[in-house]
Formats: sequence, C-alpha cells, structure tokens
Amino acid sequence: MIKAEKVFLRYSDGTVALRDVNLSVKPGEFVYIVGPSGSGKTSLLKLLMGIEFPSAGSLYVMDQPIVRKETRNIRMLRRNIGPVFQEFRLIQGRTALDNVLMGMRFLDIPKRQMINSAKDALIKVGLEHKASVMVEKLSYGEAQRVAIARAVARKPALILADEPTGNLDYDNAINIMNLLYTLRDKNTTVLATTHATHLIDNYQKTTLIRVEEGRIYVEHRGEQA
Amino acid sequence: MKNAFYFIRESVRIFRNSKVLNLFSFFGTALILFLLAIVVCIWSISSQLTVMLREEAEISAYFKKDVENTAELLNMIEQIDGVRNVMLVDEAEARSRMEKTLGEESGILNLFDENPFEAYFEVKIHLDRMDSVFAQISNLNGIDYVRENREVLEQIEGISKVLEVLGYIVIAAVSITTLVIISHMIRQGIYQNHEQIKTLILLGAPDNFINFPYVLLGFLLTFGGGIAATVFINILIHQGYSRLGRTLPFIPLPPKNQLVYGLSIFLLSVSAALGILVVCSAFTPPGRRIRVLLNHL
Repeated sequence: MIKAEKVFLRYSDGTVALRDVNLSVKPGEFVYIVGPSGSGKTSLLKLLMGIEFPSAGSLYVMDQPIVRKETRNIRMLRRNIGPVFQEFRLIQGRTALDNVLMGMRFLDIPKRQMINSAKDALIKVGLEHKASVMVEKLSYGEAQRVAIARAVARKPALILADEPTGNLDYDNAINIMNLLYTLRDKNTTVLATTHATHLIDNYQKTTLIRVEEGRIYVEHRGEQA
Repeated sequence: MKNAFYFIRESVRIFRNSKVLNLFSFFGTALILFLLAIVVCIWSISSQLTVMLREEAEISAYFKKDVENTAELLNMIEQIDGVRNVMLVDEAEARSRMEKTLGEESGILNLFDENPFEAYFEVKIHLDRMDSVFAQISNLNGIDYVRENREVLEQIEGISKVLEVLGYIVIAAVSITTLVIISHMIRQGIYQNHEQIKTLILLGAPDNFINFPYVLLGFLLTFGGGIAATVFINILIHQGYSRLGRTLPFIPLPPKNQLVYGLSIFLLSVSAALGILVVCSAFTPPGRRIRVLLNHL
C-alpha cells in the first residue's frame, strides 16, 4: 500500500521536515502517527497525499510514485484516498450532506448509492440530524466529523487523517476511532496522526509511528493483519 | 448526467456570488450583440436596396415637344445594344406613378393647376452598359435630355460595401469583447472560489468536473445575452417599421417578418457560437495555466 525508502523532505526555506524515512504499510493496516508539534507528522501525510514531493528517496502509494512530474496520476490516486484535513477543508455555503456528497460526485458511483453512502457516513459519525445544516453553522467538533464522514463515505482504499479527534470530546473521539478501526475489516488502510495517545491503548493490532525531529520510529503493536 | 442538477445549482451560486458584476456582463454582452444586430440590419436593408436598384437600372429619356412619331423613336432606342426594354410613359402615367409613390401624401399634386409631369421613355438597361447606352440615346434626333440614376446607385452601393466591411469589423469586435468579458468573469469566479477548487483538487476531482459550472455560467451569460439582444432588436424593428414605413415611403424596406426571423437566427447563432468559444477557451493553455496556479496556492 505504502512504500518509502530513504525519503527526505526539505522545504524551500531550507527546513528539513523529514529525514531518512523508511516505511512499509500493508493493505488493511491501522497506523497511528504520534509526535510533538512540528515533528513532521503532517508533512508525512502531505507527502502521502502528493501535496508535497520527496526531496530525495523514493515513495510509492498504491504503486503510484509520488514525484512532481506525475501530478495528473497523483490526482487519480487521490480518488482512492479519503483525506481528513487538519483544517477540515469543508466547502462553505453547503450543507453537511452536500459536503459529504462533494467527495463522491466525480467518482464512478451511481447517484442513489452515492446519496445512501453519504447519509450512512453521517449516521456513523452521529450527525444524521445535521445533514441539512450549513457547515458554517456547525460547531468545530461537528465540522470535523463531517470531514471524517466525507473521507469515509467514498469507501477509499486508504484514509489519511490529520488529527481526526483533535476537536472532539472523549465520547465522540472514541466513536470516531472505533469507526476508523472497523474500516480495517474492509481492508481499508488508515493512517491517522494524533496527540491523543491515551485513545490508542484501546486498540490492538495497530502500528505506531513515532515522529521525532523528522525521523520516524515504527512499532507494531499486537498481531498485524 | 447524475451531476446535471449539481452543475446548474453551482452555476447559479457562482452567479449570485458576484451578482452585480455578472449582471453587468450579461447586459454588456446583450448590448454589444444588439449593436451588431443594428449594423447587420442596416447592411441588410442597404443590400436589398442596391439589388433592387440594380434590377431596376433605367434611364429616363425626355424627348422634344415637336416630336410627332414617338413610336419610331422608341423603336430606335430598342435597337441600341444594352437596352432591355423601352416603354413610353405619358404625362398621365407619370402623374399616376408619382401618386402611388406618395401614397397618402399624394394630395400635394392637386396644388398644381396643370399636370407638371412630362412624357418620357423609360429605358431599362444593363447596368454595365450604362455609359454607351446613355451616349447613344443622347445623340438621337428628337431626344431633349437623358436622366440616369447611376450616381445614386453608386452611392448606395458604396454605403452597402462600407456597411458590409463595418459588419465584419463589428462581428470581430463583438466576438473579442464578449470573449474577454465572459472569460474574465469565469476567471473572477475561479479566483473567488479558489479554496473550494483547491479542496476539490485535493479530493482528486478531475478538471472537467471543477470547470464545468464556471463554463456553463459563461455559456449561459453569452447565450442569454444573445436572447436579450434578439428581444431588443425585435422591439426596435417593430417600432422602426411602424414609424419609418409612414414617414419614409421611398425606402423599400425588406419584409418585416423575414428581417426579424433572419436577425433572430443570426443573433442566436452568433451568441451560441461565442458561448462555445468561451467553453473552448476554458480548456486552452491560458485556462490550464490558471489551474496550475491554483494547484500551487
């Protein structure tokens, strides 16, 4: 699913965000990325989404090389990824349901199935009663759950979530974690950054990636699929 | 097809985001197309007038009062190369024709005590032989003087050619201006919604999906402008015919319905073609450059 070898990421201002990253993630794996602020967690997710490109080394996501000249193919690759952005990136002036649908309209999914998937995803994140509410009227936590619903509804092969529980209370955070965890049953790979390390202990068969000053340390917990 | 309603709704939303600017674009396009229609309308009328006058090219040959055998003179004129037809128009016929031409205003002729019109030969000719025919008729014994309408005909032909050239220039100007206005509106919409577009790019949406609402709006603004211009020109023609027809009976206007129908088809075709050009321009290198720019925002 993901294969990185000796990947470095250096920004144009000279900052080295990631150094010598070696990583292999299999389909259906559930991966937490933890580390202090500024350690490189979000940079790693940006690399995996093709928003940033490795300065050195090789990176493949679903067999797609992440290199600048492959922009068109990376756009295609993103159709198989369910992203949850730290800043949510919901489209203003639309309802929660519209936002979830927006992630699927251009995919090869029949209309009826698309609507059902969107509604189902909103039920899973506990927001079915807010489906027709404009996203700017939602609370921060609710907006975050809409972003998660948008990522989940399109049934991607890979979910990349940046702090998916960052603005949620404990109950909702557990609910979202459970939702993401159950996706592994459908062979969906999940990579999620988090500061909430206390939530991770609830799950077995996970992979923990600790990021410190741009270097990653991988730890397999329990028996991986 | 599953997104047809979504695309329409998005286009309406983009329109509403810059309602005033989009309305100005719409009316601007409508007025430009309206101006084009006026030029084409005048050109059409002058062309028709030229064609009609060419077909009616004739010389009026007035004979001396002492000529007794007008039949012989008529026969001599008929023999001249370039003459198509000769007819004697007597004083009564000349008056009757003027009465027809003046219509309701013909009462003015009753102010004369005697019939002021002279008898003459109406000589239909081939226009390209006018010079030689004119000279030969002038030299015939019994001919007093000859009058021809070549100068008027040439002037009208000249005006018609100028209008034709002007028409092409206006068509080019209208096309460029409309494309610039509408393309600018599309780009304005894209910049206003760049955050939304960036999100869609990050979600993997293809360019066509992202572009379509903007392109649809551009097409609708252009074609809508064409429809509005068609309505304006229809009103103008109806008003013009009812007023010009009364005050300028000498101008042979083409049939109203024919002119209205022709101009309507022309305007709708031009606006649709321009709309399609707008659509195509969104997929040309400048359009792609905007997307590249957005990719790096």
